[in-house]
Amino acid sequence: MRATLLICLKDLRARLRDRSALLIGIVVPLGLAFVFNAIFGGISGSSNAIHLGVVDADGGPAAKVFVTNVLGAVDRSGLISVRHERSEVVARRLTAAGTLDALIVIPAGFSQRVESNGPASMLVVGNVDAPISTQIARSIADGYAAELNRVRLSVATVVHAEGGPSRVPPARLRALADRAAATAAPVTVQDVSAASKELDQKSFFAAGMAVFFLFFTVQFGVTSLLEERVDGTLARLLAAPIHRASILGGKLLTSLLLGVISVAVLVVATTLLFGASWGNPLGVAVLVIAAVLAATAIMALIATFAKNAEQAGNWQSVVAVVLGLLGGTFFPVSQAPGVLSRLTFIAPQAWFLRGLGDLRGGSLSAVWVPALAMLGFAVLTGGIAMVRLRHVAEI
Amino acid sequence: MRATVPQTAGATATGDRTGTVRTLECRDLVRRFGDLLAVDRVGFHIDPGETYGLLGPNGAGKTTAISMIAGLLERDGGEVTVAGEPMDTRSVGTKRLIGYVPQDLAIYPDLSGRENLLFFARLYGMDTAGARRRAAEVLDLIGLADRGGDQTKTYSGGMKRRLNIGIGLLHRPKLLILDEPTVGVDPQSRNAILESVDGLAGEGMAVLYTTHYMEEAERLCDRVGIIDHGRLVAEGTRRELVSLLGEGDRIRLTATGDIAGAAASLRAQASVRQSNAIEGGIDLEVVDARDNLPGILQEAAAAGAVIRSVDVVEPDLEAVFLHLTGRALRD
Amino acid sequence: MKALSIATMNLRRMFRARTNLFFVFIFPMVLILVLGATFGGSSSPRVGVVVPAGPALAGRVVAELQRTPHLRVQTVSDRSTLLTQVERGDLAAGLVIPEGFDASVRAGRPVQLVYLARPDQSSQQLGATIRGAVARVSAVLGAARFAVHERATGSFDVGLAEADRIVPSVPAVTVRETTAGTALFPTSLGQFDEGAWTQLLLFLFLTALTGAVALIETRRLGLSRRMLSTPTPPAMVIAGETGGRVLISITQALVIIVGTALLFGVRWGQPAGVAAVVILFALVGAGAGILLGTVFRNEQQAIGVSLLLGLGLGALGGCMVPLEVFSPTMRQVARITPQAWGNEAFAKLVGHGASITDILPQLGVLAAFAIVVLALATWRLRRVLVG
Repeated sequence: MRATLLICLKDLRARLRDRSALLIGIVVPLGLAFVFNAIFGGISGSSNAIHLGVVDADGGPAAKVFVTNVLGAVDRSGLISVRHERSEVVARRLTAAGTLDALIVIPAGFSQRVESNGPASMLVVGNVDAPISTQIARSIADGYAAELNRVRLSVATVVHAEGGPSRVPPARLRALADRAAATAAPVTVQDVSAASKELDQKSFFAAGMAVFFLFFTVQFGVTSLLEERVDGTLARLLAAPIHRASILGGKLLTSLLLGVISVAVLVVATTLLFGASWGNPLGVAVLVIAAVLAATAIMALIATFAKNAEQAGNWQSVVAVVLGLLGGTFFPVSQAPGVLSRLTFIAPQAWFLRGLGDLRGGSLSAVWVPALAMLGFAVLTGGIAMVRLRHVAEI
Repeated sequence: MRATVPQTAGATATGDRTGTVRTLECRDLVRRFGDLLAVDRVGFHIDPGETYGLLGPNGAGKTTAISMIAGLLERDGGEVTVAGEPMDTRSVGTKRLIGYVPQDLAIYPDLSGRENLLFFARLYGMDTAGARRRAAEVLDLIGLADRGGDQTKTYSGGMKRRLNIGIGLLHRPKLLILDEPTVGVDPQSRNAILESVDGLAGEGMAVLYTTHYMEEAERLCDRVGIIDHGRLVAEGTRRELVSLLGEGDRIRLTATGDIAGAAASLRAQASVRQSNAIEGGIDLEVVDARDNLPGILQEAAAAGAVIRSVDVVEPDLEAVFLHLTGRALRD
Repeated sequence: MKALSIATMNLRRMFRARTNLFFVFIFPMVLILVLGATFGGSSSPRVGVVVPAGPALAGRVVAELQRTPHLRVQTVSDRSTLLTQVERGDLAAGLVIPEGFDASVRAGRPVQLVYLARPDQSSQQLGATIRGAVARVSAVLGAARFAVHERATGSFDVGLAEADRIVPSVPAVTVRETTAGTALFPTSLGQFDEGAWTQLLLFLFLTALTGAVALIETRRLGLSRRMLSTPTPPAMVIAGETGGRVLISITQALVIIVGTALLFGVRWGQPAGVAAVVILFALVGAGAGILLGTVFRNEQQAIGVSLLLGLGLGALGGCMVPLEVFSPTMRQVARITPQAWGNEAFAKLVGHGASITDILPQLGVLAAFAIVVLALATWRLRRVLVG
């Protein structure tokens, strides 16, 4: 144990001195989280609410129902702001400039056409760079049109069933229309809010970068065993009156400490600097330790296949990058279709991020499954690595 | 052509010390790497205060042999005891008795000289205060007291070499193992290293020294084991080894002209035991140099060689090696 | 000629290591594939639907959702699975059609579908789209039910058949849609197109920056001193080192462009325009890599800074998230990166079928970047090499 600590301290001192661990473990992920945060901070700021314009060139009853009832409800929801414009020309200009994301125009004569059962239409003008807002504006207009169409269709169905328009007296037609309009739509939609187990973007990028670079930071411990073999200092360690296990232990301990320290610094720094919210500290600690163990074990296993430190570094980088991508550290792969969304769980990074998300949306106990999954990776790869490391710790 | 010499040749030479416990005793060491038999039944011993040289060309198995002795490498056969205690790769206690100086500059470049010493001192079990004291002593001893705080990557080659040896001396081992400590070292540093090794032996430390420099072995070592192709082909004091050459004298002719032809025709002479053409001359082993020299010169000239100078060479370990293995030590 | 040998030596050293081949060629292409598969085409949110087994009426809701543009529909086995997937963000939102949907509709009992969404805004906004689709289904079902209620038809199914039959002939209230403004990124792009050029720019720059590591190694091993000891003027050595990095970038671009075009059918636009963008961008990258290699002495540190700069500038320049979703301010800030100009050039080339003359402004800015960075880099390199 004493020798393990001595070797670990010696390695930590050397790593601090050449500053590479500091750079890879803290500066680079923090810098990238900062850049992402700056970009996405801007994005979420602009897309907070949808700015919808409406021009009522008709002024009739059907238009009034839409503007007052339908858009009124939409406006009150607070998610979409509705702005009334008199001039279609002005409103279109605002839309083209992006001040309005989309515009709904009710043309003159709309109500009259609706009442006379003639073809009628509303117009949605969307800003080209706001396809989602345009789609939403269209959906709102479509919903109202569908309601009008339901009444029309209801009346027409009865009329046709009764032998066609010539057989139905106008008085009955009007009565049918009134009754159809009074009938509630048979199918409605009720909103139920689901708890969010997703990380917000600030926290996602902080966590994603932290776990992505963790797989690089832990390399400094185990890979230095290969460096010591090449440099000849391993022979010296082997000649010293210490157990071989102490040498391996020292290297693994170095990896674990570097990993835990770097992620801990990142958690604190991103929380203080950009207000990332990681969740319950105890749960975060469990997840971080599990992730560090998994990362160390996997990187150690890869190192055992390499002939020298450079080769190990290259292979480890490939694995760290591929697992980072699959694990969704840059963008959420779980939203990908088919096999890819399941493939993400061969990466411990995915479990780490899922654990943080579940921790956010649920209780502390939500971290056990992701933590155990990561420990599973650690035990499996670490076990093989330990068997193989005995051969690496030879001259 | 390989001569097999009984390995007991040297065992009796220092028989007067058998009463004490031998610092190193190894028997029948064997190590294979795949099909290659790197060390083949090597055995020797070292007594307290004795300097033992393991002499052989590159690739002869020297490093493999001492790696097994120092407990760095598993062995396929044989036994090692240090001061009576068995040694293998797991013998933590026995390893305290050995100071090992690898052939490479096995020091941490981003730690200072003092930090390197402190680290290894602690690994050898010293407490913090003891380690500090001893590190300062060793820095003094190797002449690095004023540079002890600098990172070793800023050291010159000679300074790194000295630190490399210094680490091996930290814990005052009973046996110091030096693996080719002078390879790639400038003559001045080399002299300093040799002198310090001489001094250590004088203080009663046993030293195991591997080299492929014959002069170093001759100068430093009380006894020398000659190793080639993984086997210890001869062992003994310098005098004992030289006596293996028999009564012959060595003559070196510096010559031009048909050297190969002259060497061949000299071989036919009754007084000539061996005749080898070397670069710029001919190496001869003859029965009685003084009486036969005129005849040899005559014969060489007749065979087409133009003699520039003649040296009668006293036998050395180089010659012993050539005699035993049929090839030069350095080729 | 000597510069060329130094340049090709650079190229050979780069591609001798197999892991370099992975990072330079294979990984970018895999990323293009993954990005295309995940977000390709449009950023259509995925909506999960729980449908009760068997009945036909509920199927109409699913069919209508599938017909709705900008939606991807996926059926989910039960409500709790749906809830978990929505909570975790695997699905954008979910719709639950309750058991007994058919019976209730037939009996004229109002039915409520459940729209499950996270409390964030985009999920709520998506709800409007779902409601529109449900309303369209509801219109037909309501008409059939109304006919039964008015005793015009004997059964619901007869009424439904009648309603389905006359839907096309009833003059409908419709919604027309147009757009205003000029699109930066038009919607006609293929699934992999945008991902392909953004990743190309991201990795061209990253690879170029890691050239710093090669340069540091060359200096550390004393190879540059050896080169200078030969009768080769320093300018030639500098030209060779720079040319080598440019050659590596162009090789990388060629492989990725041809590879993705053949493998995933990515369109890249007018070859002359693409070549111009790639060459200018390669020059900028080469200069940046050499500049970095002269500033740092330690390879590990150079790798760290390369990653930070390469990924950071890439993200800022719209290589990770398209520039179109940036706020106006961030879009202006992005223009300090060469990647943003490269992205704009490619958007014009691929999206609008532009030719080299249409992207002259972007090429001009890239050329200016190249001149400034290369001037700095050669000045620094000369100082480092010959003091």
